[in-house]
Amino acid sequence: MKRASLKASLIVIAAALVAGSVAWLGLLPSYWVFLATSVLITGVALQSLGLVAGRTGMIALCQMSFAGVGAWTVGYLNLAEAPGGLPVWILIGGLAAVPLGVAIGLPALRLRGINLAIVTLSFATAFDTILATMTYPGQTDFLQVPRPELFDSDEGYFVFVLLCYVAVAVVLEVLSRSRLGASWLAVRHSERAAAAHGVSIAMAKLSAFAISAFIAGISGGLLAGYLGTLVSENFGMMQSLSLYAVAVMTGAHFAEGAIIGGLLVVMFPEILRRLDLPQDIGNVLFAIGATQALSTGETMSETFRRQLRKLMPARVKAAASASASDLPAPVSRAAGPALSIENLTVRYSSVVALDGVSLTVAAGTVAGLIGPNGAGKSTFIDAVAGFLSSYEGSIKLGDKPLEGMPAHLRARAGVRRTWQTNRIAPELTVGGYLALAAKGLSASETKAILGWLDCPDPDTLVVSVDAGTRRLLDVAGVVAARPAVVLLDEPAAGQSHEESVRLGQRIAEIPKLFGSAVLLVEHDMDLVRAVCSEVTVLDFGRVIASGPPAKVLDQGSVKKAYLGIEEESVAA
Amino acid sequence: MNALLTSAVAGLTAGGTYALLGVCAVFTYRLVAVVNFTGAAIGTAGTFVLIALYEAGFPIWPSVLAGIAAGTLVGVAIGFIMTRWFGEAGASTKAAVTVALLVGIIAIGLRLTGGQHPHNMPELFPGSAFRMAGVEVTIASVLTIGLAALFTVLADLFLNNTKVGLNLRALADRPMAAELLGIRVQLLSLLVWGMTGAFTTFALMIIAPQRSPNFMTLSLLVVPALAAALVGLFRSFWRTLAGGIGLGLVEGMASSVDSISQYRSAIPFLVVLAVLLWSQREARWDEAR
Repeated sequence: MKRASLKASLIVIAAALVAGSVAWLGLLPSYWVFLATSVLITGVALQSLGLVAGRTGMIALCQMSFAGVGAWTVGYLNLAEAPGGLPVWILIGGLAAVPLGVAIGLPALRLRGINLAIVTLSFATAFDTILATMTYPGQTDFLQVPRPELFDSDEGYFVFVLLCYVAVAVVLEVLSRSRLGASWLAVRHSERAAAAHGVSIAMAKLSAFAISAFIAGISGGLLAGYLGTLVSENFGMMQSLSLYAVAVMTGAHFAEGAIIGGLLVVMFPEILRRLDLPQDIGNVLFAIGATQALSTGETMSETFRRQLRKLMPARVKAAASASASDLPAPVSRAAGPALSIENLTVRYSSVVALDGVSLTVAAGTVAGLIGPNGAGKSTFIDAVAGFLSSYEGSIKLGDKPLEGMPAHLRARAGVRRTWQTNRIAPELTVGGYLALAAKGLSASETKAILGWLDCPDPDTLVVSVDAGTRRLLDVAGVVAARPAVVLLDEPAAGQSHEESVRLGQRIAEIPKLFGSAVLLVEHDMDLVRAVCSEVTVLDFGRVIASGPPAKVLDQGSVKKAYLGIEEESVAA
Repeated sequence: MNALLTSAVAGLTAGGTYALLGVCAVFTYRLVAVVNFTGAAIGTAGTFVLIALYEAGFPIWPSVLAGIAAGTLVGVAIGFIMTRWFGEAGASTKAAVTVALLVGIIAIGLRLTGGQHPHNMPELFPGSAFRMAGVEVTIASVLTIGLAALFTVLADLFLNNTKVGLNLRALADRPMAAELLGIRVQLLSLLVWGMTGAFTTFALMIIAPQRSPNFMTLSLLVVPALAAALVGLFRSFWRTLAGGIGLGLVEGMASSVDSISQYRSAIPFLVVLAVLLWSQREARWDEAR
């Protein structure tokens, strides 16, 4: 477990200890304990929603249906007098919801995220009608779901639910700081960028659905033990919808956001009831709160955290410092072509973006690809990295053809790229980003790579890193993976002259330090001259020159392509 | 056989309504880039204004007009929120906002209309239009389908043959860019919201007597509407029209088979599943990111 997640987990556990002992010792009126239990159960459901809605940024509108599956499973197991008692039944109930979560997630994987909203809403409707035809198992015989003996009283059950809440919160905390958690955030921010790091978008989304459905199922099981018997209204579509609004409003992917949400859902109707006001006003407020959160792009939890940071400014962290000897060992590779492209042609309907381009990058070298804007350089990188649906020609990594491989598999095979615009998820830490980009990087290696590129400390949040440094971070990510080939798309754009000179030195070191061949796309001619051993020039999708930079850059046709005029007029 | 045909035809009114709601959803999506979950709720608000006036003893046709006006206003109000605060937001965020608004509208609606309390909804167009193969086709079904078809034709003409429509189509995702071309985006967006509000209100007034007219049930007609829109992949009006009518027919037939009739609200879900699985045969990247 990482240090940061340990700290966060300890805070949750400490808070839970206080709450648990207050209830256990009977310091609170029973009724409040009863309400607080309900808050926690809603909190568990909200955490499950926070995973899908908050972390992967998708709209899921059938969370209470999953909870219903969990609750009904517990009911059936009770009726069948299955062994193990409530804790085991609850786990089985959670597992029962998983296949459903995956099945509903599947059709929404590849297309626009809004489809998930439609599919989940229609599932909630369908589930409503099915549930309406079924009574809760054992209800006709007045059979109640029994609580575990140790936790039978209301105070006891509160402690039981609290334990479950803490377990879920800690597991989610650890997961969120793992590579899987980073991949969720990355997918939410940019699917392409995530795939470029070798993340399977389908796996990232499906794992989020599955875990989310599991937790939602558990919340349903907890509710069964809480109320003893249930009705279908507990799991109606309106419940799912309003839970979604609350999750958006409070930020349910934070442990405190889920608790605040639970408090709002349970306490609001309670307060309104005591004031003799209609209880359904709550939903109106959730709707307004969610709209407000969406318009500012900040949930309640994020606002609190921001205010807290303002009150307690973190120590300014120096740039990561570590000796270069900690850099991961380079992967030794055979000499010869690392990447060979033959006759690459790309068409966008009638426009030919690339026309029979051939290019070879030798292992252990830095090659340059230059050309005026619109020459097809980024299209070239897209094609090599697997982001185009079709192209003609052949692309080989070493002697392995890449045709038919999707982007994330090409990344895993050893083709890594950076982007012209920065696509790093701002919620990640610098260290978390490197862990996403390069599996299994040790802490000292992470520091060494960051130090090598003058990037900030691993614990720094990406959101607080300036745009220029984020571009360096991009480079750090791809080299950390030590792939066979690194494709850098204008890494020096937006850098000052001094910075770009320094970056040039680093790029020149990449083959030796990491064992990766580099293809550099760049407009900064000084940089290209300084680091590239071979240069290829594109214009209107065709190769117009290639060879050593000193020779190529002096050719008249190259100057003409760049400046749009003949050489003589430049001289004049 | 004839029994099945009778029940299929009985689903036509619903089909026409789904089709009209679906076409409105596609229209909204293509012009203002919002997948609108409040579509049916807007129409429901207008319908309940009609019900309130009618129950208060006002004559029916002025009440209908007042209801349509109210639905238009609610549509414009939601459009105002969307254009004012979320004009430049991403598609997902906009959809999430309409989901949140749906929660709020249903809560307000249920409060004002007395929850599940049944209402007396006048049937606006009782009676049969004609007989087909020995089956009565009601005026209501002819009207909803006709209205849906009319809207489809108009929407198609507007988007393909007018300058404003063409510009809007190209720039639905970038209202700022359209603004630079001299299109009054704000005003046009509100017009789109108002117009779809008026049409959905009228459609819901026709179908309301067939359903239990409570605010939530009617608002949730957005589910079959979005299913129909998915059949048209949120692009083709004609396919959406066909999808909506088809959905109604299948629902009608399902209601005649005893063993499955109580599960017929699950049909849109199955349609959505089928369409999504079929349409994602080829991989595509999420938006342009």
